[in-house]
Amino acid sequence: MTIERRKAKVLVSNDPTTHTRRDRSERLSPSPSATRQMTVIAQDPSIRTDGKKSRILMSMVRVPAEILADGPRGYRVHIIDYDATTERFFGAHTLPKTLEEEPANWQRGDPSIIEDFRFHAQNVYALVMKTLARFEFALGRRIGWSFGSHQINIAPHAMVDANAFYSPADQGLVFGYFAGEDGQPIYSCLSHDVVVHETTHALVDALREKYMMPSSPDQAAFHEGYSDVIALLSVFSQRELVESLLCHNDPTARKRRTISPARLSTKALNASALLGLAEQMGREMRTARGDALRRSVEIPARAQILDEPGFEEPHRRGEVFAAAVLSAFVEVWQGRIFGVNHASEGLGKLADGRYSVRRVAEEGSEIADYLATMLIRALDYLPPVHVTFGDILSGMLTADMEIRPDDSLYQFRKRLTERFAAYGIYPASNRKDLPGIWNPPEHSLSYERVHFESMRSDPDEVFRFLWENRQALKFREDVYTRVLSVRPCMRVGVDGFTLRETVAEYYQVANFTLDELKDHGIRVPPGLARLLRDEPSRRRDTAREGSGHDDHDEDSGPDADDESLTRTVALQGGGTLVFDEFGRLKYHVTNDVLNRERQSRRLADLMRFGYFRPRKGGGALTTRAPEISSMHRLRSRDRSQTLDEGW
Amino acid sequence: MTSPTSVTIRSFQVGFGDCFLLQFNYASGEPRNVLIDFGTTGLPKTLATTPKVHMPLVAQEIARLCGKDAGQGKKGKLHAIVATHRHKDHISGFATDGSNGGSGAIISELQPDVIVQPWTEDPDAEEDALRPTNTSRATPSARRRRFTRELNAMHGVAEASVAYAQAELRKGAGAALSIRALGKLQFVGEDNVKNLSAVKNLIAMGKRRGARAYYVHYGSKSGFEGVLPGVTVTVLGPPTLEQYDKIGTMRSRDDVEFWHLLAGPRTAAARRPLADGFSSNWSRRHRDMSGRSPLPPQSRWFASRLGRLRGQQVMEMVTALDEEMNNTSIILLFEFGGRKLLFPGDAQLENWRHALQDVGDGKEAAENVKHLSDIDFYKVGHHGSLNATPKKMLWEKLVNRKKPVAKRLRTMLSTMPGRHPGKTGGNSEVPRKTLLDALKSDTLLLSTDDLRKAKALKTTDWYQEITIDAVAAKPGN
Repeated sequence: MTIERRKAKVLVSNDPTTHTRRDRSERLSPSPSATRQMTVIAQDPSIRTDGKKSRILMSMVRVPAEILADGPRGYRVHIIDYDATTERFFGAHTLPKTLEEEPANWQRGDPSIIEDFRFHAQNVYALVMKTLARFEFALGRRIGWSFGSHQINIAPHAMVDANAFYSPADQGLVFGYFAGEDGQPIYSCLSHDVVVHETTHALVDALREKYMMPSSPDQAAFHEGYSDVIALLSVFSQRELVESLLCHNDPTARKRRTISPARLSTKALNASALLGLAEQMGREMRTARGDALRRSVEIPARAQILDEPGFEEPHRRGEVFAAAVLSAFVEVWQGRIFGVNHASEGLGKLADGRYSVRRVAEEGSEIADYLATMLIRALDYLPPVHVTFGDILSGMLTADMEIRPDDSLYQFRKRLTERFAAYGIYPASNRKDLPGIWNPPEHSLSYERVHFESMRSDPDEVFRFLWENRQALKFREDVYTRVLSVRPCMRVGVDGFTLRETVAEYYQVANFTLDELKDHGIRVPPGLARLLRDEPSRRRDTAREGSGHDDHDEDSGPDADDESLTRTVALQGGGTLVFDEFGRLKYHVTNDVLNRERQSRRLADLMRFGYFRPRKGGGALTTRAPEISSMHRLRSRDRSQTLDEGW
Repeated sequence: MTSPTSVTIRSFQVGFGDCFLLQFNYASGEPRNVLIDFGTTGLPKTLATTPKVHMPLVAQEIARLCGKDAGQGKKGKLHAIVATHRHKDHISGFATDGSNGGSGAIISELQPDVIVQPWTEDPDAEEDALRPTNTSRATPSARRRRFTRELNAMHGVAEASVAYAQAELRKGAGAALSIRALGKLQFVGEDNVKNLSAVKNLIAMGKRRGARAYYVHYGSKSGFEGVLPGVTVTVLGPPTLEQYDKIGTMRSRDDVEFWHLLAGPRTAAARRPLADGFSSNWSRRHRDMSGRSPLPPQSRWFASRLGRLRGQQVMEMVTALDEEMNNTSIILLFEFGGRKLLFPGDAQLENWRHALQDVGDGKEAAENVKHLSDIDFYKVGHHGSLNATPKKMLWEKLVNRKKPVAKRLRTMLSTMPGRHPGKTGGNSEVPRKTLLDALKSDTLLLSTDDLRKAKALKTTDWYQEITIDAVAAKPGN
């Protein structure tokens, strides 16, 4: 084994939540007493163990240790087993305190667990906590929910519905259940990818609260596409499941635990791991959710694909993002098996010319985990509003470069850049020396009047920094500004050292009349121009009616319902500031409120999608994006929410 | 009898519903009568009446206009019926069971020769239902069960949503949604509940000796060929699943039926999981498991929120279902004497897109758009909703908009504001105000919504009427 090979093993071993890597990563993980193991269903009840079709494939996950109250109720999660359809409470469940106390049938994967609501509570609790811990570990800090409460409410059997969703207004995750083809209930809380997908929605909302607002097609697609990818990578980060997929339909591999090189080509891995998983997932759940995995894998790479009308739909567009990441995942995996450009040896064949299934599976699960880390860390390098796929790619590349400057060994960044380009997604950064990585600040900055320690936690201090450097940072001073967050974080680097950064986001918004928009060179679509010209009395005819949803007033500017703001529309912008451990600014990822090109495109998109509405009683125009539950329902039916033909 | 000299179109006051009587007038001989839809889901309060009373009166008026005169022993004649799709607001009037005062029986007596319905209504459709059968008289078989099951599942979801709305309404102030929202939910649910009597009557009329049923799709024969001399009728929708799989996304690639998942197990067809939960066995087992624990105080807020969320989800489901059913709507183009009349029922975007954007790799669609660009009459789609009159594909291409009055596009709208909740995931009124503005400014619009303002209801207040002459004759109304 070469030195590079040994290094490589350490490099990807940074997930504290999956037990398969604990032997390699103990020095990077929280101490064992800080975590505990719990048994969960590896994917969903339809995936059974090899040769024993009656057993469900189970997995063990590591979650933060805590003394749970009945519910279960912990420091971040509160399971409330209430069913709104039958208006029945199924009780506050008491979970086993340790792995050893778990009932044997849970760990065996006995089908009886499908109707064991206490197990359901453990399954959903463990997967939510695993995902939260995964994000917190990758980002190196605690993450608070967007709605302010410390605990997110979770209803594992919320109602009869072929849907599951995150609802920020209700501070919770909602998992429906419905009848399968045989009449037996299908519980969405038992599907690994569904639980992680919904938890990711909540975590992204916690980290980038403005991504729920209507913006570009990319931003609309981001929540779904990103949650899909994190969920699928979470599933693939379980070695047991990857092993099972590799052996599926291959009796020799199942018997000898080795696999032939022919079954490890890119095409074969696509078929066995990705499509294989899609095939084995519960059919009913796939119908209810829209079969994201299969659809993503089957999207052909085309550079113009995002310009095609069918891919303006948020869920279809999100699947393109997932396709780019998943195809990079398979390429990197294959590179790890066979070696890349002689820079690494690969796994090495066994005496019979075949490969160890376990080792191949370990590599796959580690790459899945590594990519998940990269994606999570990318969130800290994204603008706070109006994100594009190009921003995300630059965010991923920058996050990876910060933690692992040398890309030569497995070429993660190279492959990601190539695969994204195949789908027409290019980095938003135009940096030449480090392609795709965000640029450092252009001009020298003043730090004289700000205090280093305060800058790590105090929004006012960060605002002062912005204000002092407004010219150098091209900070727009004549609009409403709020520093949304200041988050010190400590990331674990490749060689075990810690990378300290402070990430702050600020948000800007201002209201403009039609003439002002034109003065700033922003193109206004005719329909919006009409809305901005209309008399208030007429606009009230089509004003948005109360529907139980809150308008995002801050997104329409402060005091947006003020009569004086009638005939105006809000433009938003802002920036993300990443400071190094000495309080010096490393990156300023920004969207200018008056960026002509981006804002013109955004207004055109919002108008096409029918988001602008007058406000009852006067004030600035409002916009509101569909709820996540609606997005999922449109997705499951493959229906369009495009309103470009609508009125 | 050659070509019609004119057509008289009447849009009857049926509240939220459609009922259009077309009379093609000929220089010699009796007019030919076509009834396009006959249904309601609610009448304006100003009429101070009920469908049971009102619909038979409308049917009698239709019969009179079709030549029925009991005093002179004339039976009257309806030459064709088009039931654009199976929504209650389009077919309830055909029921004979008394739900609409037996209005369907009055229509049956007019002995229509042709009954035209979308291919999705073919009672002998194949199990897989990718296309209609060649004849409506094929032997019923087990093959059609799957198709029937899917439609039944949609009706099952609709029934459950109505049951849910009614149960919540009974709670009064403690209801999960507002009374207004529940009213709309009940309305859409009822519109989608299977109207068995009307469906049976339509089938029976098609099976009458001398009559024929046609189940049409894009590009198929319309069935009017021998009924309307000098009139060309083109079927522009709905496409079959084979022609356009977007219309049938309820049918997943794995053949698991989306609506069946919500409707519940077929083994317990009488139950409605969406409204009542799962089987009693299931409920009992889990109730016992819970030991009937009371909700802890810290859980009550979220439980209450779940109740509200459930209401919103049921509303979304039934609205989604409504949209899918609308997409089975027939789109017909009538042409005579240089005139073109477009009747799209409640077709939504997916249905339109096939005809106007996608068919024949776009080439045939472009020809369709060109052919429709100079229509003289347009029945406003789906009661004036957001998505039923395609703005770019159709509306902006219509050259007779804004023309001088004599040549201006005529439009008719049958609607009733405040009934329909709008689109899934959105918040849009029906009729859509922006569309109404465009109709009023660019076309000569006649709307049944204006009829309800009539103070004294006379027979002539029951419909809007327009006569369009063949081009050779002087146009007018």
